[in-house]
Amino acid sequence: MYILETRELFHSFSNDEAVLKGIDLCVEQGSIYGFLGPNGAGKTTTLRLVLGLLKKQRGSISVFGREFEDDRVNALRKIGSLIESPSIYTHLTAVENLLLLQRIYQCSKQRINEVLELVGLANTGKKKAGEFSLGMKQRLSIAIAMLNSPELLILDEPTNGLDPNGIIEIRELLQRLNREDGITIVISSHLLSEIDKLVSHIGIIHKGTMMFQGTLDGLKEKQQQSLSVVFETGDPAMTRTVMERNQLHGDYQNGRCVLPALDREQIAELNRQLVAAGVNVFEVGVVKNDLERIFMDLING
Amino acid sequence: MTATFLHSFQSEWLKTKRSLAFWMVVVGGFFTPAIIIIARLVNYQKLPEIYSAERFWDLLWKNSWESMAVFFLPLGAILSTSLIAQIEYKNNTWKQLHTMPLSYTTIFFSKMSVILVLMLLFFLLFNVGIYLSAMVPYLLVSGTPYPAEPMPYAFFLQENLLYFVDTLPIIALQYLISLRSKNFLVPVGLGFVFWVGALGALSWRFGYLIPYTYPMFNYLKDAEKTKAVIPEVNIHMLAMVYFIVITAVSYVLYLTKKEKG
Repeated sequence: MYILETRELFHSFSNDEAVLKGIDLCVEQGSIYGFLGPNGAGKTTTLRLVLGLLKKQRGSISVFGREFEDDRVNALRKIGSLIESPSIYTHLTAVENLLLLQRIYQCSKQRINEVLELVGLANTGKKKAGEFSLGMKQRLSIAIAMLNSPELLILDEPTNGLDPNGIIEIRELLQRLNREDGITIVISSHLLSEIDKLVSHIGIIHKGTMMFQGTLDGLKEKQQQSLSVVFETGDPAMTRTVMERNQLHGDYQNGRCVLPALDREQIAELNRQLVAAGVNVFEVGVVKNDLERIFMDLING
Repeated sequence: MTATFLHSFQSEWLKTKRSLAFWMVVVGGFFTPAIIIIARLVNYQKLPEIYSAERFWDLLWKNSWESMAVFFLPLGAILSTSLIAQIEYKNNTWKQLHTMPLSYTTIFFSKMSVILVLMLLFFLLFNVGIYLSAMVPYLLVSGTPYPAEPMPYAFFLQENLLYFVDTLPIIALQYLISLRSKNFLVPVGLGFVFWVGALGALSWRFGYLIPYTYPMFNYLKDAEKTKAVIPEVNIHMLAMVYFIVITAVSYVLYLTKKEKG
């Protein structure tokens, strides 16, 4: 069962072009789902729809196996969220910010100290949240999202404003919450490098369309498939002839011939043939496309 | 449902802590009585005459409400209602509030209840202020007699209730506008325009149709000389009708809002 699932989710603001064009989001229970896409791809709109912050136009949203609209209050009881910029009362202290939510969730007051400890804000005392740095505000927002010990944590760009150490700390915290408490986490980002060490599943959205959805391993398989071999030679024309004789079709640019992934023996054989044809071979290399590159390839079609 | 509403109300009440709206209520409640105290202490020679008057409390009540009914009460209601609703816009917290396990009905009415309770607090403090404005000069200036007339509690209570009812449409309309506008200046600006309009409409025979006129009319109803056309209709009933209708419209608009944060 998916803990969160959307089917054919469409959305448009006023009469503009659709922001979402049939998003099928499938988040498995216990997973850390990275929701990835460039700015303006539709990540925040999707998450706002999932949380009921936007009125649904077309499609369906089910959370914990039930239609969200039919069970909104009960679903929200088990969800913690952080959408975009920090959402805190700047005239109140960190404890007061959590206290007013504690009244609603009716969790123990002890929980306030626990979440503040978790995000490293236990000693902010009487300092008002408005005087916090952006990083501290973001941490407080994460503490707010965790106050009700949620089963599903939805975090939209939670590391915005955090320094590198802060990003690592939050990443470790989320991994711990997922591992020890079994919390399912949906985390959006526009930077793959930021979340590729964290997530188990990934969804890539671009211009309102889901380009890829699956496990991180599935994405890495794509990475494997996208390895390429580069020959840099002194005679591009003869190089092309040799490659075509071997039924290999590459890209030829600036004296470089880029071929799809080949095994080691094939590479050695091609090198032999090029040398035998009197071609100077300056460099033979394997280009390993990282996840960032795959991401870019996916969104650029 | 009741418990959830109570928890939501407590949460909303906590948000008023250190807020401008809360301080406005406290300062606004004591402002006019403080002016009266100062004026009486400055003119202390007249105190024996004032305190011996048969209608001591009635005159004090009228003096106190003069600026309050026309100026501070409508403007205080406009500002405090707008400020309470604007707490969410200012802090970008509507999205957080709407992802709480609360029904939209609970959110709408608990926030409104906080505004109403703040107004009640304002009335309470103002009444305490009126009492202090009677007692402080008496205690500080020797030779001032204790007011001869007993305090007319029932009259005060009834007038408080009427003024409160007369303020309800202002609160309802300001709440409606504040919930729909991100910009704080919109509800405050419109409120100010309505208030000026109400002042201008006092001498118009249909002035009572403007809901911001009711506290003013309630004050002016017993005035001996006034250019205001005191309506013959029951303005308090009209205020209640306006309050219920505007609140209902506001509630529907809030429920059907497409973007909730």
